[in-house]
Amino acid sequence: MNNIIKKMLQHGTVTVDYPKKPIKSSFITGAPEFDLKKCKRCMRCLNTCPTGAIVFADNPSEKAKTPAVNLDECIFCRFCEENCSQGAVSLTSRFELAQKNREALRASPVYVQDNEAGGLEYELIGKQLKEKVYSTFGKSLHIREVDAGSCNGCDYEINALGSPYNDIERFGIHFVASPRHADMLLVTGCVTRNMEEALIKTYNAVPSPKLVVAVGACACSGGIFKDSYAGKNGIDSILPVDVYIPGCPPRPQAIIYGILKSIGRL
Amino acid sequence: MVSEAIFETINRLLSNVLLDSKLLNENEIYTEILPGNIKPACLNIYSNIDCVLIDLFGNDLSQSHSEKIIIYYTFSVRSSNTLITLFTQVPKDDILQLESISGEIPSAALYEREVQDMYGISFLDIPDSRELVHHGNFPLKVYPLRKAFKVNTRLDFERREQEFVSISGTGVFEVPVGPVHAGIIEPGHFRFSVAGEPIINLEAKLYYVHRGLEKLAENQNFMRVLLLSERISGDETYTNSLAYCQAVEKLGGITYLSERALYTRVIFSELERICAHLGDISGLCVDTAYVFPAGQFAMMRRWILILCEQLTGSRFLRNTNKPGGLRRDFIRDNEKIIVECMDKLEKEFKDSVNIIKNNGMFIDRVEHTGILSREIAADLNAVGPGGRASGIKTDVRKEFPYAAYGKLKFNIPEHFNCDVNCRMNVKVEEISESISLIRQALEKMPAEGPVHIEIEELIPNAFAFGMTESPRGENVHFVMTGENNTILRYKVRTPSFCNWPALCHAVKSNTLTDFPLINKSFNLSYAGNDL
Repeated sequence: MNNIIKKMLQHGTVTVDYPKKPIKSSFITGAPEFDLKKCKRCMRCLNTCPTGAIVFADNPSEKAKTPAVNLDECIFCRFCEENCSQGAVSLTSRFELAQKNREALRASPVYVQDNEAGGLEYELIGKQLKEKVYSTFGKSLHIREVDAGSCNGCDYEINALGSPYNDIERFGIHFVASPRHADMLLVTGCVTRNMEEALIKTYNAVPSPKLVVAVGACACSGGIFKDSYAGKNGIDSILPVDVYIPGCPPRPQAIIYGILKSIGRL
Repeated sequence: MVSEAIFETINRLLSNVLLDSKLLNENEIYTEILPGNIKPACLNIYSNIDCVLIDLFGNDLSQSHSEKIIIYYTFSVRSSNTLITLFTQVPKDDILQLESISGEIPSAALYEREVQDMYGISFLDIPDSRELVHHGNFPLKVYPLRKAFKVNTRLDFERREQEFVSISGTGVFEVPVGPVHAGIIEPGHFRFSVAGEPIINLEAKLYYVHRGLEKLAENQNFMRVLLLSERISGDETYTNSLAYCQAVEKLGGITYLSERALYTRVIFSELERICAHLGDISGLCVDTAYVFPAGQFAMMRRWILILCEQLTGSRFLRNTNKPGGLRRDFIRDNEKIIVECMDKLEKEFKDSVNIIKNNGMFIDRVEHTGILSREIAADLNAVGPGGRASGIKTDVRKEFPYAAYGKLKFNIPEHFNCDVNCRMNVKVEEISESISLIRQALEKMPAEGPVHIEIEELIPNAFAFGMTESPRGENVHFVMTGENNTILRYKVRTPSFCNWPALCHAVKSNTLTDFPLINKSFNLSYAGNDL
């Protein structure tokens, strides 16, 4: 007991005061950015991108096609940065990337692979309840996490939300053991064949109104596991998604940012 | 020298049946056998040479005019740094059938079921022939790893009931758990048969996170497959990519890597090990409802994550490895922060371990819980801390020295009580060894020098193994190249694949409430098993 009290006094509170104080570190890996002045349009980045996240899209301000990144597909592998002979691409430390629309993450139009599980109906319910959700869950939110085929990287980062440094309970946000107790599903992974049914069942078990947050590149678009016989290209091919959090994996603060964004607290 | 002696022995032992025999990549022996003789040949090797089965996999090498599937049986002679691979060609137009070896070599059982699902080769007299990967939703007679199957095929869902081992008797109940669990962990289904509290039998149904990784790697450029290898299992990112890189380096004809790269690889591998073990010990404290030290270990784990991020920009050491060395020199000018972090960690870790070891209630929970006997561990080829706690002293870093491990001093912890406490102690001791390894590596590392050698071209149609010791144990990657720097076959066997059956044995006769604790003491990766 003595030792425990000593340790408590030694370390005090270690919780990081995010998002009140922004995190400023140069070493964080964040969204890639193009310097259009340096870019020679050689297409090398486009050809080396392992997930096809880099596209040449219409840019109204340049009145031409310019390179851009679809952040929902990006796995932050730095291949574009390393292969650019002009140094026109670089990964910034901007990590607060979560968006409510997949279009907002993309430079080219979104193509959702298939929609077998009656997604439209869910989507309608989701839209109607959205406002009610924000007023209901504003101050307390219970989350159920489902791994639907990730490599466990995202799940480790979600686990880290409960660690002393991030302590997500200070926002009134709590991880629960059963979907019956949950207001939000936090889903990682590309939705594998074998998890599809379990994910739909879990979604149906969550009482309405409910939110779905997709965490990580796989959950947003399939990421590196895109177009596999064993999985789908992201959560939104079977469930309506409220917030997309890109990253591979997104750091804990990026997940906090996404969760708070989904309940309108940012 | 030793590999050559074993090569001679094999040629002598199998002189009647072998078609062809080669010694490649210094220590890999490849011997071709006719399909009818493969079982006696395997048993001959297994009983006459001190070796263990570490991999069994298929490879479809069909071309337009000849169709054939090759099955490889890989044995590791751990005492003398040699891999023996027996392989046999099964012509596709024939009845695809081989004799099962899992009656005699129990660790082969799961591999054979996997080959059955992925290639459609049936094994005669296999003790358990149920589906493993496909969960009864896969159309029958569709085999994903065959060449004719396209990776992006959309298949219909079927519904076949899957059977579990059922145990009957008065007062025996089945408790199904999962695939969605109460904690924030990966999906898997556990079927417990219990009589009251004690567990009579546990069957784990996995492959919920099967993403088709091996198929996705097919015909891809080797640099893209590197990214796949980093995403096999989240917390083993570095060692998985290192195993892949080592295999590709052999195929790229690189025999010598810069010293600086080799030492950096040691540092990153050990950082990953420390991080994983700290997470495990923290998890053990959570599962015994001992909140304070759980927070302590989680805090230390975060120190390491932040250090990794500071060095590489990634908390999980992604985007660091590259066949031929490293992406860039990550250690330059950062030696000081690594040493400082290690000093801080060593002190804090010692204090925290003291706290948990002096708590009688905690020790009471972990001692004599989840016993994995030495015999079962040996039969199932349990590896890593799970094996070492049961007296199986195996470590790739010593037996197949890679990176700069051959030049560094370290001990492998060994315990014989086979329980959760032993597995925890193995991890505690390994963290201390890792800290010392990192310090030694920093000291011995040359101050200047390149960290990368460019790979010009991969030798087409060649193959090699890459082995590393991940935090969970022995990691075996097999890579075969195709034309134009592509990968034809990438077979991954992570330590979790070996240890899952061992876990199912370790929980027997324990109470159901101790399962989370025993599970955490192994802390196996679902994603690494399912691929």
